[in-house]
Amino acid sequence: MRSVMLSLSSDSSPSTSPSPSPSPSSDDRYRAPSPMANVHSSFTSSVSPPGLSTFHADLATSPITGGFESQMHMSQPSFTSQLRTQSVGSKYSRRQSSSVDEDAVHDTLSPTHVSPAQLYSTESGRLFHAGKICIVLVGLPARGKTHLAVSLTRYLRWLGVKTHAFHLGDYRRGHIAPGTEVPDDYFLVNASPSTVILRQRVMAACKADVYRFFEEDRGQVAIYDAVNPTSAGRRVLVKEFNQRGIQTLFIESICDRPEIIEANVRSVKISSPDYIGWDEKEAIRHYLRRISDKIPHYETLDEPEFSYIKLYNAGERILLNNSRVGYLPNRIVFYLMNLHIKAGCVYFARAGKSTEPRPRYKSDPHLSDEGRAYARILTDTLLEHRRSEHSARGADGDNSPERELIVWTSTRRRTIETAAEFEKRGFSCRQRPQLSQMHPGSCDGLSPQELEKQFPGEVELHKKDPYRHRFPRAESYHDLAVRLEPVILEMERIPNDILIVAHVSVLRVLYGYLMACSTFDIPELDFERNEIVEIIPSAYNNKVKRIKIYGVEESETL
Amino acid sequence: MGGYSFQVENVQICVIMVGLPARGKSLIAQKIVRYLTWLSIRAKCFNVGNYRRLETAHPTAEFFDVNNSEGERLRKMAAEAAIRDMFRWFDEDLGVVGILDATNTTKSRRSWILELCRKRNVEPMFVESWCDDEDLIMQNIMDVKTTSPDYVGQDPEKAALDFRNRIRNYEKVYETISERDLTYVKLINVGSQVIINRIQSYLESRIVYYLMNLHIKPRCIWLSRHGESAFNLTGKIGGDSDLSARGREYARQLPQLVKMSVGNRPLTVWTSTLKRTQQTAKYLPYRQLTWKALDELDAGQCDGLTYEEIENRYPEDFAARDENKYEYRYPGGESYRDVVVRLEPIIMELERQENIMIVTHQAVLRCIYAYFMNVPQDQSPWMEVPLHTLIKLEPKAYGTEVTRIKADIPAVSTYREKGQSAKIRSK
Repeated sequence: MRSVMLSLSSDSSPSTSPSPSPSPSSDDRYRAPSPMANVHSSFTSSVSPPGLSTFHADLATSPITGGFESQMHMSQPSFTSQLRTQSVGSKYSRRQSSSVDEDAVHDTLSPTHVSPAQLYSTESGRLFHAGKICIVLVGLPARGKTHLAVSLTRYLRWLGVKTHAFHLGDYRRGHIAPGTEVPDDYFLVNASPSTVILRQRVMAACKADVYRFFEEDRGQVAIYDAVNPTSAGRRVLVKEFNQRGIQTLFIESICDRPEIIEANVRSVKISSPDYIGWDEKEAIRHYLRRISDKIPHYETLDEPEFSYIKLYNAGERILLNNSRVGYLPNRIVFYLMNLHIKAGCVYFARAGKSTEPRPRYKSDPHLSDEGRAYARILTDTLLEHRRSEHSARGADGDNSPERELIVWTSTRRRTIETAAEFEKRGFSCRQRPQLSQMHPGSCDGLSPQELEKQFPGEVELHKKDPYRHRFPRAESYHDLAVRLEPVILEMERIPNDILIVAHVSVLRVLYGYLMACSTFDIPELDFERNEIVEIIPSAYNNKVKRIKIYGVEESETL
Repeated sequence: MGGYSFQVENVQICVIMVGLPARGKSLIAQKIVRYLTWLSIRAKCFNVGNYRRLETAHPTAEFFDVNNSEGERLRKMAAEAAIRDMFRWFDEDLGVVGILDATNTTKSRRSWILELCRKRNVEPMFVESWCDDEDLIMQNIMDVKTTSPDYVGQDPEKAALDFRNRIRNYEKVYETISERDLTYVKLINVGSQVIINRIQSYLESRIVYYLMNLHIKPRCIWLSRHGESAFNLTGKIGGDSDLSARGREYARQLPQLVKMSVGNRPLTVWTSTLKRTQQTAKYLPYRQLTWKALDELDAGQCDGLTYEEIENRYPEDFAARDENKYEYRYPGGESYRDVVVRLEPIIMELERQENIMIVTHQAVLRCIYAYFMNVPQDQSPWMEVPLHTLIKLEPKAYGTEVTRIKADIPAVSTYREKGQSAKIRSK
């Protein structure tokens, strides 16, 4: 059996991580280099990095109007805090991923940002004529709010809605000395005056950034991630947002199944050093007791005049109230119906080489002998990798069965034939026309030289906007993104592992969705034929692994 | 053959409508069938009322009284017959989504259906339309039920009264869905509140999303092909040519033609990214949006050829296309089925919008028309859509009304009948 070498993305050769070409219009503050990449490359596995030990749930403003916040990603702050090195006043606009191998879902967007699947733009820059919307999350800690905020940001940005998530927890941490905890009465209704002042400062800082996002950056959807436990507090928010012409949509996450709450606590709360050496059950009980001590007041959403979505037990049941606000709430509900706290990962692989050195779209060639050999090696490599991952999990005490693998290809012959080996071995393979490569139009089969010669003006235009430019009669990456949307939703929904065998242009767009790449990065993404790219989903950000395929040539012209 | 884009493997879903009479259940059921059929997902509606009418053609309200055991027996028999036919359809015709259109207002009736579905390994999904808005109910009674086959030839006033009494009989036993272990969607007062419970598959989520986007405000859709193009004159297909002189004349006259039909209603115009639709819409004084998804069917290797050239160069392809035009994919290009897949977001957006005019191409227009008019796949690619004609579609409860308005500007015919040789036509 061939051995499989694993490498985390940022350890791989620089050629696989092209640095994004800066947008001509982007503001420097959005492109500030961050230490993120360094922190990232020190990870040795996909498990969460060590986190801070503070208890991340606070009540951030006056007793009645309390905007509580909760913090799901306990495991993250250690690098988040290294990264977010600016002044306490503003948390917003700090991060810009320097590598496309990092999930950029937390990056800020420039005022002129254009999203991957944006169908059309309006004069205001706001889509669907839906105006400015603040999605206010409601729910106790460990109800999956941050996962919700992050997933929604990813999806809405993809659709072309300029979205940013504001986690109140980040602001609270910015207002207390490193290593210290918030005052004991921080979450209580009858807190001391100094605590109330602290809460108000935290919330004011967060709201200032929300308003900056709407007013300076032409933002469309802000996601305000906090506990927001009281009806009175929520009314104050709605009123304040109204005065600024912002509509409010609440999304409450409710769990009445202890096993879901416990799973949330287990995966993101007690992985912190606080609980090292604790018995797991004991740690969960301790954590939940701290929540109920600290946040004794909680009122579920029941304000009939509000637009709200109630999400029960991670999507088991969804209630949409007053949905006539329009397109976006419907779209969000559609997404939520398919959203799972995804366990399965996604593998990307290219199709094997064809009988034509420069395969023409119109001829749709078969695989060559070399291509068929590749198909076999790819199959062996992936299955071996899955076996070794599974036994590694077993060694860690995780005895869950191996997840099922399904294979998706396009309707093009090369991809179908590349997956044939999987089909032979009994895996379910499905052809989907949406996964067909970007249509080359009149440029089909042209070499770069011929292209330059036949369409000199077009090549120049393409260089200026490689994402949106269409060669004559061809598709752009944007066109591709729009037609891939059903595939993306189904990808979110399916709990299995999925292998997608497709053309580079398609892989770029799907990768771009999962890793929140910008439209500048997507056309530049590299997929080597001797690698399988694995995306591992998690609540706060997705991670990338590259699995080497030995015995296959590195790459050739794309 | 490829193209199973929306097909969900091994899933059969029984959509069970729930709700009092005059809550728009039949409308919803028909819309679901139309949408899924258009996406090539086999869907069929089984209306229990139609089965009941075989025995009892013109029942009075008493027939629906819970205490009328004979009525109850006949109604249960009708439901059994409908379900039996549905299961036969699942087995023999490989149906994917069957819709049981009946009131199904009691828990016991629902658990009976549930049992039957579970035995057959069919996923049950309940769709309840709940409404207490009197205006909406009254509107529904007047619009739909006075034209119902149950009241054919009767005085509409009396019919409406009897129908109200029938509803009262149902109200006595109505239990809204609250079973937490069921897969269901409950639409309350036409979407002012929606409850979605235990959605099991992507296909179900698509159905729910579709239902959420429906509205019942009156509106119209106008369709037009682009004006005659330079390629049309030479009989070439595809390409990105400019309008001919007559095509430009159509573009100039179009605003007046549209104004006559649209009046003062607000309108948005959608075009494709190709020059000939944009040149056609150039003078329309409304907001315009360009969609790549509205571009013409891609003829691949045949792009820029005449039908005659295609027949000469690719005689087998030419014949294969006639054989199954919907599935036939041009070498390196698209089939009608491919076009439908990429038009799906357009249809969803059209359902949400009010008055829209679409300027597009022959094949794309056929696909959109097929959605609104339920044109079957073996016919829609052959539909005749002449140039320089404005088509008005007006969706109504039980179907869509069509008006064709011809501009008085001659144009070539781009129509080729099935089996007709291109060589003859070009003479």
